[in-house]
Amino acid sequence: MVDFSWAPRSPLEKALVAGVHGARRIEADVSLTEIRNFDLVQLMARRGKGTDLAKAAKARFGVVPPDAPKVVQTPDATLIWSGPDQFFVLSKGGKHTVRTLAPALSGPASLSDQSHARVLISISGAKARTMLAKLSSIDLHPDAFPVGAAAATSMDHTSVTLWRGNDRTNGQAVFNVLVFATFAESLWHTMLDSGAEYGVAISHSENLA
Amino acid sequence: MAGAQTHRLGNGGLVDRSAPLNFRFDGKAFSGFQGDTLASALIANGVKLVGRSFKYHRPRGILTSGSEEPNALVELRTGARREPNTKATTAELYDGLEAASQNRWPSLRHDVMSVNQLFAPIFVAGFYYKTFMWPAKFWEAIYEPAIRRAAGLGRAAGVADPDHYDKAWAHCDVLIAGSGPTGLAAALAAGRSGARVILCEEDFTLGGRLLSDGGTIDGVPAAEWLSRTLAELADMPDVRIMTRTTLFGVYDGGTYGAIERVNDHLPSPPQHQVRQRLWRIVAKRCVVAAGAIERPIVFAGNDTPGVMMASAIRTYVARYAATPAKRLALFTNNEDGWRTVETALGAGLQIAAVIDARPEISPAHRSLASKGGFPVLHGSVSGVDGGKDGVRKIAVSLTGGARAEVEADGLAVSGGWNPAVGLTSFHRGRPAWRDDISAFVPDGAPPGMVAAGAANGDFGLGACLSQGFAAGAAAARDTGHSGIVGTAPAADDEAFSLTPLWHVAGKGKAFVDYQHDVTASDIELAQREGFESVEHLKRYTTLGMATDQGKTSNVAGLAIMAAVSGRSIPETGTTIYRPPYVPVAIGAFAGHHRDETFHATRLTPSHHWAVEQGAVFVDTGLWKRAQWYPRAGEKDWLESVTREVKAVRSGVGFCDVSTLGKIDVHGPDAGAFLDRVYINTFSSLAVGKARYGLMLREDGIVYDDGTTSRLAEDHYFLTTTTAKAGLVMQHLEFCRQVLFPELDVQLTSVSDQWAQFSIAGPKTRDLLREIVDPSEDLSNEGFPFMGVREVALRGGLRARLFRISFSGEMAFEISVPARFGDAMARNLMLAGAPFGVTPYGTEALGVMRVEKGHIAGPELSGTTTAADLGLGKMMSTKKDYIGRVMAGREALVAPDRQVVVGIRPTDRTRRLRSGAHIIPKGQTPGPGNDQGYVTSVCFSPTLDQWIGLALVERGRERIGEIVHAHDPLRGEDYDVELCNPVFYDPDGGRQRG
Amino acid sequence: MRIVCPFCGERELGEFTYLGDTKPVRPEAGASEDEVFDYVYLRDNVAGDTSEYWYHGGGCRAWLKVTRNTLTHEISSIEPAAGAGAAKVDA
Repeated sequence: MVDFSWAPRSPLEKALVAGVHGARRIEADVSLTEIRNFDLVQLMARRGKGTDLAKAAKARFGVVPPDAPKVVQTPDATLIWSGPDQFFVLSKGGKHTVRTLAPALSGPASLSDQSHARVLISISGAKARTMLAKLSSIDLHPDAFPVGAAAATSMDHTSVTLWRGNDRTNGQAVFNVLVFATFAESLWHTMLDSGAEYGVAISHSENLA
Repeated sequence: MAGAQTHRLGNGGLVDRSAPLNFRFDGKAFSGFQGDTLASALIANGVKLVGRSFKYHRPRGILTSGSEEPNALVELRTGARREPNTKATTAELYDGLEAASQNRWPSLRHDVMSVNQLFAPIFVAGFYYKTFMWPAKFWEAIYEPAIRRAAGLGRAAGVADPDHYDKAWAHCDVLIAGSGPTGLAAALAAGRSGARVILCEEDFTLGGRLLSDGGTIDGVPAAEWLSRTLAELADMPDVRIMTRTTLFGVYDGGTYGAIERVNDHLPSPPQHQVRQRLWRIVAKRCVVAAGAIERPIVFAGNDTPGVMMASAIRTYVARYAATPAKRLALFTNNEDGWRTVETALGAGLQIAAVIDARPEISPAHRSLASKGGFPVLHGSVSGVDGGKDGVRKIAVSLTGGARAEVEADGLAVSGGWNPAVGLTSFHRGRPAWRDDISAFVPDGAPPGMVAAGAANGDFGLGACLSQGFAAGAAAARDTGHSGIVGTAPAADDEAFSLTPLWHVAGKGKAFVDYQHDVTASDIELAQREGFESVEHLKRYTTLGMATDQGKTSNVAGLAIMAAVSGRSIPETGTTIYRPPYVPVAIGAFAGHHRDETFHATRLTPSHHWAVEQGAVFVDTGLWKRAQWYPRAGEKDWLESVTREVKAVRSGVGFCDVSTLGKIDVHGPDAGAFLDRVYINTFSSLAVGKARYGLMLREDGIVYDDGTTSRLAEDHYFLTTTTAKAGLVMQHLEFCRQVLFPELDVQLTSVSDQWAQFSIAGPKTRDLLREIVDPSEDLSNEGFPFMGVREVALRGGLRARLFRISFSGEMAFEISVPARFGDAMARNLMLAGAPFGVTPYGTEALGVMRVEKGHIAGPELSGTTTAADLGLGKMMSTKKDYIGRVMAGREALVAPDRQVVVGIRPTDRTRRLRSGAHIIPKGQTPGPGNDQGYVTSVCFSPTLDQWIGLALVERGRERIGEIVHAHDPLRGEDYDVELCNPVFYDPDGGRQRG
Repeated sequence: MRIVCPFCGERELGEFTYLGDTKPVRPEAGASEDEVFDYVYLRDNVAGDTSEYWYHGGGCRAWLKVTRNTLTHEISSIEPAAGAGAAKVDA
C-alpha cells in the first residue's frame, strides 16, 4: 500500500523566487510577500438577514462586520468587506473555518470556503503606490484610501479584493491583495513587470501581516 | 568628426554648452548641445533642407518649433527602433542620435520623384479617386502599391518593437494642460489651495512661451519668476509636474488620456524601464492652458526651406541660441510678429525687411525700423525665389499695386494665433469665432473643463497669468479646497492688432496643408466641384488628415473655402475634433498586453505537474489546458491522443477538469431558483445526487449545460462549461438580483476553490480503492451512478466524489481543495500505477465525448434549441423557466430544423473535418440545398475510423441516409452516412456498471 | 467613463458590463408568446435619458440601474437592483 502525502502547494510555488527582481538598488522600492496557508470564509447574508448577520457576527467576533468597503480587525481575524451584505473572514490556524463558523452564522448567512480559491499578496515599499497605479484604477492616495480601506475591484482585468493594512513601523503603507488562485501566477508576473524598474524584494510568509 | 555649429550664437539660450552631443542626419555627422531638439541642432548647423513632401516631393525645411510641425518629419533611430514621421521639432537630441530624411530617393538633395512637381497640374484634389477608377481589380494589384511607393512618409521598422510600454492611472482634483504662464499660474493657485494637482507639459522644459518670449512678471524677468514658481510648486507634495507628457484625449466622466515619453530622449530605455507610458488621469476639474498655435499665411512658395513661423524663429534664437537665417525678412499681419524682429536684432541678425499687411504700424515699430536700418513694406509676400538651399529672394506686392523684391535667407511669417481648441472640443464641441482676434475660441467645454489664457483667445501675458490663476483657484474651490491662494502674478499685456490675411493670390503653389501637400488651388477646385462642406472639403482634399491633424492648416483652409464660397468663416465652420491630439504609439495603448502577456492567463491546479509530464498545452479562453501528453517515440498528436483514449477505454486515465465553472448555490430557495434557470427540475433532486442540467437564454436558445449536485437541503454545487463560467455567473446574478429578487438564494464562485479530476475507465474503482479510505463503499450499490458524497482519503484529506461520466466509461470526478490539486495528480499516478493509469488531455476528452455523442461548445453554438440537441424531453412542462415561452415559437419547433446527428465517412479511411457543409447526395452544392454542417470530428480509436457530429435538417429522421459533405475551404468533397450520434456504448451500460 | 457604484464608490467603466434597458419587465408565468416576445425583443431607441442595467462584475457583483443620457453620456442616477445584497423583497 502506497503512502499518500497531501502537501498543499501554493499556486505561486513555481513563480515565486525569493530574492530581488528587476533593478538592483540598495533597497528594493517595492516588496511583494505571498502569505501562505490561511483560512478564508465568505459570508453572505440571506435574504433580509443583513442585520441578523451583523448581530451574529458581533457576538462571534466581538466587532460589527464592515458594512462599507473597509476591513475590521479582531485579535485573530480580519473581516473584509466583499460586497453588499457580505464579507470575508481571514484568519490562520483553523479557528475560523466554515466548520467552526457554521453553528453560529449559518442561520443568517450562507458560508462558502474560499481558503484555496485565493492567493494573498502583500505589497509595500516606497514605490508600492506607484507600482499599483499601473494595475489598479482606484485612487490609493492616503486621503482617499486610508488604513482600513477596502475595495472589491479589478487589477489588470482580474477581480481582486484589495485592502490597506496597518502601516509598517517605518510608516510605509501596506496593501493586501486577494486574487483568484488560478489567476495568481499571471497577476504575479504582471506585478513583477510593473515593479521591475523600482526593484522588487520577493518573499513568502506564513504570517498574516 | 562633426562640423562646427555655424549657426549657433556665442552665448545665451537654454542649451548646455558644456554638454556637446554628437548626432547623424542622413549619415552626416553633426554636433549639438544638451537641451537641443533635433530641429534646433540642425538649425545650429545651418541645415535647411530636412525632408521631401508627401505628394510632390518638394524640398522642405523646418516650419515650427513644436508638436504642430507638418514638415520636419524624420525617421528617428535605426533597426527595430526606427520610428517614422517623428517630428524633429520635438525629438530631444541625445548623444549618438541617428535620423534620416523621408520620402526621397536616392538622396534628399537628388530625389527622382521630385519630377512629380512637373505633373503637378494632374495631382489635384481627388486625383486618386478620379484617375484610378478602372479597371477595379487594378487598384489592389497595381495602382495602390505604386502610389504607396511614390507618395508617402517614413518607413516602419518592419520588426517587433523591442521596447516596453506600460499604462498607469492617476487621480487629482485639478488637471492642468500646459506649463506656460497660464498653466503655472493655475498650478500655483490650485496648489496653494491644497488641491491635488497634476500638470502635464509636452515639452522637456517647463515654461512654455516664457522660454522664448521672456517678459517681466511681478517686476522680475520671466526666467527668475519661472524658477521661483517651479521651486514653490516642487515643495507642494500634492502637486505633480509631468514633463514630456502630452494630454491627448478627453473621455467621459473626467477621464483624460496622456502619453508620457519616459525615455524617448535616450538612445534606448535603461534596463527595466519603459519607453513610454500611457496615463489615464481621473480629474475632477481640468484647466486647459495649452496655449495657441501661430498660423501661416498661404502664398506662393510658402513651403520653401527657410520660411518659418515667426514665433518659431524667436524660439530657435532665444531658447536654443540657433539662428535659422543670417538675413531675415518678416511677413506679418499682426503686432506679435514684430517681436521676432526685436529678438533677431537682439541676437545680432540682420533684418532685410518687414512686410506688414496692415495699413498702419505703430510709431515704436517705425522707429525700430529706422534704427535698425531696414525698410517696412506695406503689402504681402507674393512669391519666394529659392529651392533646396533655401530662401534667396522674396517677391512683394505692395499695397497700391507696385512690386518689390527683398533679398533674404530666411522669412518669418506670422498670420496670427489660433487657440489650441482640441481638448475643449473633443466632446463634439464646436469652437466659436471671435472677430477681434480672427480666430476660433472654445465655446463651452466637456464637464469640469475650462480653457484659460491663450487657449481661450487671450494672448497677453498679463491676461494669461490672471486667467490661469483665477481658473486654478476656482477649480480648487469647486473640489472643496479653500486654502489661501494669495494674489495672481501680474504682468502687462502686449499690444494687439491684426488685419486678417489668409491667402495671397499669386503664381506658383501656395500650400495650406504642408504635410499632405494641399494647396489653395486644391481648395478652390473642391469648391468648384461642390465639396463645400468642411467635412467634405477635408475628405476630398485630405486637408488636415495627416499626422499633424492640420494644426497649422485647418483654419487657413476653411478661411479660403469661406472666401471662395462667399460665406463667412463661422458660417463655413470647423470639422469635428477627435482625439488623440498628437499621434500615440499603438504600443503605448497596448502597454503590458502583448505577446505572452497579451491577456491574463489562468492555470489549473495541476498545471506545473503537467508541465513536468511534458504536456502540450492549448489556450482555451484564458486557460492553459493540457491538450495531450506526448510520450517518447510518438510521431504526432494523433498517436498520443489515440493511446490516451485506448488507455481510458481499456484501463483507467485521469484528466484535470478544474476549468469548469463552479458555483455554490445556497439558501432555502436554491432549488426553486435552479428550477427557474434550468429547463429541468432541481428542487426534486435528492441530497447526495447529481443531475445534468440545461439552461436556455430567454429567447429559447440553449445557453449552457453542466452537472449540478445537491450537497445539502439548502446547498447546490452547480457546474458550467469552461467557456461560459463567467457569463453564467453574471446571468445567475441577474436572475437572482433582478428577475427573482424574492427568492432567498446566494451565489458564490468556487471555481478556484476546488481542484477537480475526472477519473475514467473500467479500472477506475481499482484506482480509487487505493486512494480512498477503505471504509468508503464504492460499489455500484454503495455509490450508484449520479451519486455524490464526501469521502475520506488515505493520508487524512477529505474529498468530494461525484459519480458522473463525460467519457461514457465507468467514471468518477474527485475534487479536493485547490492547493491539494498538485498532490492529487501525483497521488493518482501513484495509486494508478499498478493499473497503468494514463493522464489524458483535452483532445482525448474531446474524442471520447464525440464517441459518446455528448454535446459541447461546437453544438452549443448560440443557434441550437434543446430539441436540436436531442434534449427536448428534458424541457419541463410543469414549471416556468428562462426561455420556456420563446422556445415554443413556430420556427424553433419547426420539423425541418437542423438537429444533431452522427456522421461517418462511407470510405472508412477518409479523414473528416468540421465545418464541411451537408448537401443531399447527387446535388450540386449551393446555398439553396445547404442542409447543415459538421460541428465536431475526431478519429475514434474505438471504431478505428473518423467520426463526427453534425447539425443536419431533419437529421434524426434520416439515419442511414448517405449525404454529401462539401468543404470548399479545403477543397474536399466526400460522402458520409448519417447515424446515431452515440457511437459508443449506446445503452450506457459501461458508465452505469 | 466612470460609474458610481452605490456600494463601492466611483469606478472605471472596465469594471462594469452593460446589459440594456431596465424598462421591459419579465412577464409572469402563463404570459402569451406575444408578451414574452415584446419583453425579449422590443426596445425603444431613446435619444436622451435611459435607464439601463449595468453589472459591477469587476467589483461587488451588484446589478445596477443606471440612468444615462445617450447623447451626452451623463449619468444622473444609479441605484441597486431590487435584489442586490440581502435586500428583503416581498414576493
